[in-house]
Amino acid sequence: MSNRRAQKGRKELPVQGPKSLEPFFDPCAVAVIGVSNDPTKIGSIIFGNFLRPGFRGNVYPVNPKHKRVLGKKCYTSVKEIHGSVDLAVIAVPAQAVIQVVKDCVEKGVKGVIIISGGFKETGPEGAEREEELKEIVAESNIRIIGPNCLGVYNSTSMVDTFFLPEEKAGRPKIGSISFVSQSGAFALSTMDWMAYQGVGISKCISYGNGCDVNEVDLIRYLADDPATKVIVIYVEGITDGRKFMEESRKTIVKKPILIVKAGKTKKGSVAALSHTGTLAGSDKIYEAAFKQSGVIRAEGFQDLFDMAKTLSLQPPAPGNRILIVTNGGGAGVMIVDACEVCSLEVPELPSHVQRKLKEQFPPHFSTKNPIDLTGDAYDLGFGIALDEACLRYDGVDGVIICLLPQVPKLTIKVANIIADASFKSRKPIVACCMGGEFTANVSGEIEKRGVPIFPTPERAVDAMWALVKYGENLKKGNKR
Amino acid sequence: MKPLTSGIIKEALEQGRFVLLETEAKDICMEYGIPTTKQRIAKSTIGALEISQDVGFPVVLKIVSPDIIHKTEIGGVMLDVKNAKEVREAFAKILDNVRKRKPEARIVGVMVQETAPKSTEVIVGAFIDPNFGPTIMFGLGGIYVEMLEDIVYRVAPITKKEAEDMVREIKAYQILSGYRGRKADINAIIDILLKISELVINCPEIREIDLNPIMVYEKGAKTVDARIILSK
Repeated sequence: MSNRRAQKGRKELPVQGPKSLEPFFDPCAVAVIGVSNDPTKIGSIIFGNFLRPGFRGNVYPVNPKHKRVLGKKCYTSVKEIHGSVDLAVIAVPAQAVIQVVKDCVEKGVKGVIIISGGFKETGPEGAEREEELKEIVAESNIRIIGPNCLGVYNSTSMVDTFFLPEEKAGRPKIGSISFVSQSGAFALSTMDWMAYQGVGISKCISYGNGCDVNEVDLIRYLADDPATKVIVIYVEGITDGRKFMEESRKTIVKKPILIVKAGKTKKGSVAALSHTGTLAGSDKIYEAAFKQSGVIRAEGFQDLFDMAKTLSLQPPAPGNRILIVTNGGGAGVMIVDACEVCSLEVPELPSHVQRKLKEQFPPHFSTKNPIDLTGDAYDLGFGIALDEACLRYDGVDGVIICLLPQVPKLTIKVANIIADASFKSRKPIVACCMGGEFTANVSGEIEKRGVPIFPTPERAVDAMWALVKYGENLKKGNKR
Repeated sequence: MKPLTSGIIKEALEQGRFVLLETEAKDICMEYGIPTTKQRIAKSTIGALEISQDVGFPVVLKIVSPDIIHKTEIGGVMLDVKNAKEVREAFAKILDNVRKRKPEARIVGVMVQETAPKSTEVIVGAFIDPNFGPTIMFGLGGIYVEMLEDIVYRVAPITKKEAEDMVREIKAYQILSGYRGRKADINAIIDILLKISELVINCPEIREIDLNPIMVYEKGAKTVDARIILSK
C-alpha cells in the first residue's frame, strides 16, 4: 500500500515539486565548487564539513586551478566527475557563478546551493545576474537555493554547507524543530545558540535571496517531512503572499508554523530592502495574513525559541482555561496577571475538585486556582494537584507549574512526578522555575523529561499562549 | 462580475477614465448590496428640484466631473440645502465656481444626494497590496484613522469570521459596541466588509476602493462618499 502510494505520488509531482528538494537534504554525491588549499576559504570549510564522519555520501572538490586539494583529487569542472552528482555547493566569485551553474545543468546535478553573494542585494548588475539564474532554473530541471546564503544543515544526514568553523559556531543535536531563514547571520547565530542551549534541530535552511527555492517551497517540503514537528521561519519579506498563505493553511493542520518577520518598523523595512533585496511591505498586512493563515508570530528571538521548544515538546491546548500549580504565592499571582494579558482564563476549581484536594492536603494549602502548596510543598503534593485538577478534571485545558525548589521538603524527585503527569496528560504542561544552581539542576531534569521550563513566569505564560493559539488555529484550519 | 458594474468599468476604461465618478462608484456599491445614500445626477435646475423632492430635504449638491477629484476645494459641494430656493441658488453657485476655478473641466452634471444623518463614521477600503494582492481595510472615521492609525487589514477574500475579527480588532471597538448608550450596527459593517471583499475579488480591474465615510446607525448603515480607482 505504502509502496503504491509512493509511486502514485511520484507520478503526480511536477519536476519543480517538493520531491525535487530531496537532493538538498539527503544527497548521495556532493560537489563543492571553489575548494582551495587555504583551509580558511569558504569552499574549503564546506568541503571539510562533508568529510566529517556523519556524512555518508561521496564528496568531490572542484577547482580548475588545482590538481589536489586538502589531500584529495580535485576536479577542474563538475562535468569531469564520474558518476552522478545530486548536490553542488558553489562558493566562487559572483562573476563565475553563472558558468558553474550551467556546467551543473549539463552534468545533470539536481540541486545547487549558491553561497556566493553579489546578486540582487548589490544593485542592478547583480540583479541582472540573478535574472540569469532564474532563466536557467526555468529552462532546466535544476533547483537553486540562494544565492547569498549559508545553505543547508541537516542533523541526520549531516549535510552541512554552513561555512562557519565548528569550533566557533556549534551545530545543534538532532531534534524536531526545522528552521527556515532568509538571513544567513540569523540562521547561523540561532544554530550556535541552539547547540549551546542543547535545543535540537532537524533542518536549518538559509535561502538568502531565494532566486528559486523560497519560503513557500520550504514550507511545502517541511510539511511532509516526518522528522520536522515545528517549522520556524525568519523572513524580512514574502514574495508571493497568497501562495505563502495557501501553503501555510495546508501545513498548520499537520504541524505548527512560527514566524519572525523583521522590518516591522518603517526604518526596519528600508534596511530589509538593502539586505536581501525584498520589499518589506506594510507590516500590518503581514500581521493580518499570518492571522488568516494560522501562522503564529513571535515578537523576537527569545519568544520564537521559547515557543518552538514548547510546541516541539507539548501537545496543543484544546482551549484557553489554565490551571496554575505553584508553591510560591507571589509567583502564582504574577502568572495570573500574565495570563490575563494574553487572554488566558484562570477559572476557579469547582467545589468537588477542591474537596478532593483538601482531603489530601494540609489545611493551609490553597485549592482554588492557583493551587498554592506554599513553603511546605512536598514532591507528591505536585503529583496530587496535577492528578486531581488536571488528569481527572476536564475543566482546564493546560497547566502552568511554578516551582520554587528551594523549600525544605522538595527534592529532585519532583521532576519525575511532574514528568509522569505530563506523560499521562493529553493536555499541555509548561513550567517555570526561578532560582540558582540547585534550581537549574531541577529545571534541567524536568526539561530532559519533556516538560518545557522557563526562568520567569511571563515566559512560561507566553509559551502556554502558543499552545493555546496553535490549538485554536488547528480547529480553524480543520474547519476550512 | 455583475452586469451594471461590468458595464460601468468597461465604459470608463474605454473613455480612458481611471477614477470613476462618485455616482458610478455608488451604483457599483448598490449593485453589490452595499447601502449608500440616495442620489441622481441633475442636468438642470428643474432636474435638481425633482431629485430633491424624491430623496427629501435637506440635500447635498456635488459637481460631477471626470476632471475634478477634490470637489470641496473648488467650491463644488454644497451641504445642507434645505428648500427649492436654496437648490436653485446652490446649483447655480456650483456651476459658477467650477467655471471660474476649473474652466477646462468637463461637466457631467450636478449630483443631488440625500443628507445622511450624522452618526458614528467608519471607513472601509480595499486596495491591491504588492505582496498579498486584494486587501481589505477597516477603521473608524476621523482622527481614529488619521492620527491614531487605528486600522485593521485582512487579505481578501475574507470569511464572515474574519470580518467579525476585523471589527473587533480595532482599538476603538468600544465606540462601536456601545458607549454612553450609543451603539452601532456591527452586523451592517460586517456585511459591507464581506461585500467589498466579493467586489474586489470579482473585479480585478479595481485598484482601490474607498468608502469614506460610512454612517453607522443603531440599525443599518449608509455610505456617504465612495471612490473607486481602476488599474491603468
